[in-house]
Amino acid sequence: MLGSKGLLLSGFMALGLLGATNVRAEDVVKIGQIEALTGPTATYGWMSAQGAKLAVEEINAKGGFKVGDKTYKLQLTQADTRGEPREATVQFRKLMEENVRFVFGPFLTNIFNAIEPIAKQNNGKFLLFAGATSAHSALGKPDHDYLFRTWNWDAGPSGFGKLMVDYLKKQDTKKVAMLFQNDAFGKTAVDIYTALFKDAGIELKVELFEPGTKDFSAVLAKLATGKPDFLFPGYSDAVLYDIVRQATESGFANRFFLVRGSIGPALKNKDAIEDYIAYVPKYFEQAEKTEPKVKAFIENYKKTYNREFPYDQAPLCSSSCYDHVHMLVQAMQSAGTVDDVAKIRTALLSMSYDGLWKIKYDKTGEEVFGFDVVHVRKGGSVEVVKYDPTND
Amino acid sequence: MKYAAPTALLIALFAPLAVHSDSILAIAIYGFMAASLAVSFNLIFGFTGQLSLFHAASFGVSAYIVTILVTAFGWNFWLAVVPALAVVLILSLIVGTICFRFKLKEFYFAVVTMAFSEILRLVILNWNGITNGSLGITVVDRPSLWTPSGAVQISSGIAWYYLTLALLVIVYVVCQRILSSWIGRCLAAIRLNDQLGETLGIDVFKYKLLSFAVGSVLAGLVGAFYGFYSGFVEPHYLSISLGLDIIAMVLLGGVGSLIGPVIGAVILTALPHVIDLSAELRIGLYGSILIFVILVMPKGIVGLLGSRKNAA
Amino acid sequence: MSQLIIGQLLNGVIVGSLYGIIALGVTLTFGLTGIVNFALGAFMMLGAYATWYLYDVLGWPYVPAVFGAVIAVGIIGYLCDRALFQFTRGNLVNGLLVSIGMISVFEALVLAAFTTTPRDLTYVLPGALHVGGLILPKIKVAVCGVFLAVIFGTYFALTRTWLGRAAFSYAQNPEAAALMGIRTGRLQTIVVVYSTALAGLGGGLYASMYSIDPTIGSGYVLKAVEAAILAGIGSVIGALGGGIILGVSENIGSVFLPSAFRDAYGLVFLIAILLVRPSGLFGDRS
Repeated sequence: MLGSKGLLLSGFMALGLLGATNVRAEDVVKIGQIEALTGPTATYGWMSAQGAKLAVEEINAKGGFKVGDKTYKLQLTQADTRGEPREATVQFRKLMEENVRFVFGPFLTNIFNAIEPIAKQNNGKFLLFAGATSAHSALGKPDHDYLFRTWNWDAGPSGFGKLMVDYLKKQDTKKVAMLFQNDAFGKTAVDIYTALFKDAGIELKVELFEPGTKDFSAVLAKLATGKPDFLFPGYSDAVLYDIVRQATESGFANRFFLVRGSIGPALKNKDAIEDYIAYVPKYFEQAEKTEPKVKAFIENYKKTYNREFPYDQAPLCSSSCYDHVHMLVQAMQSAGTVDDVAKIRTALLSMSYDGLWKIKYDKTGEEVFGFDVVHVRKGGSVEVVKYDPTND
Repeated sequence: MKYAAPTALLIALFAPLAVHSDSILAIAIYGFMAASLAVSFNLIFGFTGQLSLFHAASFGVSAYIVTILVTAFGWNFWLAVVPALAVVLILSLIVGTICFRFKLKEFYFAVVTMAFSEILRLVILNWNGITNGSLGITVVDRPSLWTPSGAVQISSGIAWYYLTLALLVIVYVVCQRILSSWIGRCLAAIRLNDQLGETLGIDVFKYKLLSFAVGSVLAGLVGAFYGFYSGFVEPHYLSISLGLDIIAMVLLGGVGSLIGPVIGAVILTALPHVIDLSAELRIGLYGSILIFVILVMPKGIVGLLGSRKNAA
Repeated sequence: MSQLIIGQLLNGVIVGSLYGIIALGVTLTFGLTGIVNFALGAFMMLGAYATWYLYDVLGWPYVPAVFGAVIAVGIIGYLCDRALFQFTRGNLVNGLLVSIGMISVFEALVLAAFTTTPRDLTYVLPGALHVGGLILPKIKVAVCGVFLAVIFGTYFALTRTWLGRAAFSYAQNPEAAALMGIRTGRLQTIVVVYSTALAGLGGGLYASMYSIDPTIGSGYVLKAVEAAILAGIGSVIGALGGGIILGVSENIGSVFLPSAFRDAYGLVFLIAILLVRPSGLFGDRS
């Protein structure tokens, strides 16, 4: 009896202690990251977590960074949401209590929706760099000054989705079949692209599948009966390898169009595909040869994590977070403060950062950056079309 | 163990005075709701011997109904709870009747309840017009309480803390009342040997159904609050993994006791936030704890405490 | 249209045979040890990763890689039986939860070693067969053939050999079997190891058809349990039949109805069959 009481008590005490252990010296700038690092939805979060960590270690290894006459180091706390909103809300509250002023993430739409009400209450105290698609509609709303969206928007005049659909239209496309995972992002994407295809006058048929599906034969066969010009599968490599293989092997489709995911599946099935058109924030295989910054990044990645550079696995997330940490540091330096988030926000909105990408934010806080449309053709020939909306 | 529950309650009542952290309050609130789920689940599982995997469905369906009635139809929260619980009651009576009429053996019962639960999840996931599909529904509203000085919105962490604590007490007391009555003895007989129960003249079907329905409705009650506290409902509420989490809480705490599941639920809710581990280690640790508890302390923490007391 | 249906019927059989091979492990373990080994999905995942590692990383030829994986998974299965499962014999709930705990442990180990990045094996048998207007990927046909051979082989081994008859008699009456001099403990260990090795084989062949990640097992073990229950616990051929019924109902269901409900089509079947025949389609004990 005493024991059960004691257990509960010690549990609470342990919780209390935890809040107290993170007090550090003043010259540390705390950065939080809130992403799914494990679980079936972890691909994006895990990659971006590596990117952020890499940037933090680079900056600290150089002795930190100078703002005014003080030198600061970064302290990164990474929370694993496992893609579960409940966990995320607790972790996010904890970050807020620890006065973390800069939080990276989340990439997952359901997680963003879950933490948004808490974030709103803390408006003015911190900045959130979220990649989630659902963050788009929260931008520019009252009490959302905290929010930046670290990804190009699909729709809109400079949105990559719009440009991609235009590119598709040039290929004389009449019919597209969309096959997406039935989760929060999948549904958002279906809503966005249904509108985009309608505007472009392209007929669209949509099927959704349960997360965890591996055999797409039945749904591919069903979509194939409509004889679409392109198959539009989504949205991560975990399913794209399977979809592209099964579609080509059984003759259901050989022309693909993607807005999320890598060109790895195309190269693996290079003799079976006809066309494979993908939005790739940066085509690293090519950029490595021409851009020294990219080369250095890849080498640093290999050295730090002691593993192969995941060319095919969303290096986009990894490095886009990487760039954002550097960009934030630059913004703090130009704002001359590490804790006045309003000033730092103004600095971020007015600057343009030249890292692996050229990045700037539009006036609502949505990111605009250059990207590549990669067109892989039968046999594996790769054509890269570069877009740079930051010049507009 | 007689005074364990009252003392724990006393501590819980005053704990917020010492805690000034929103995240710790959030863990406690989620802990209380998990504990309510675990206690109500234990009525079906630990005290009646039926391994139900329908608990997450009862919880989730109720959360959805309340949320939809409030957000889309402008109902008052408390009023919306009534039809939500009625639907859960009807669903549990249908599922229970099917399972118990056909006298499904224990594991078959688990699989069939899981099948119903999955079908409900898929319906909610794909009924886009009503449930907003995989995106779920965001809840901005907060329930109000009527006090002499007018309606007060329950929005602060402290208010939710006491509200969910009260919820836990209600669930706990309902289960305790049932178990200490004649019904409780019938359930125990059924758990030990339902054929024997039948020969003793117990209406096995009726009592199994009663236990299943009461447990499910209590889970529905938790669901109603859960959606409002967390601020959103999503199809994941009905997932199998939630059902398995509840089982783990009950086993860790102690399957044959009332207070056990409360302890198990609070520990398992707090654990990931107390121990700061890398993702892989945390998953591994979770599995190891589960294996360890079952093989080494089959009566859970409560059993361990009880036996130590006896030895001393 | 008929091509579409026949094609998907065949694909349903192929997918179903994979459910069947895991379901066979579920049904044997349940019949002989009284526990449902939910970790068979995790064993399947281990088999897939072991095959990938031997084949793509170490450069073994595919067939030896699968054999290597089966042996490795069998050894892990043996160790798990000695260390864990033997203490849960006859206790359904405990066995269930220990095996659920093991899923987390295995997943954690694979995550730590190989991360969440999905792996896609170098294609083993690319290309497809064209039969009367139908297109069937060669690898799927080959894998299905192996599964069918293994399941029927198991059936004959169980009905024609001494060990098999011992197992059958034990499942029917444990005490009588013990009196007849059957060493029940050993028999149970053999069955646990055999079922994990089957899962390892399932994983090894799975990896040649689909990409793999640490969470692939959980979906398949649920399907396998459904198949085993649907067929009736203890029926070897039934495990295959149950798997095929699930596979076909999912595939045909997805063609005519929204594919988002794919998992529900099998479940509806499961409930319906259990209500008509509570001991399963092929089960004889009521």
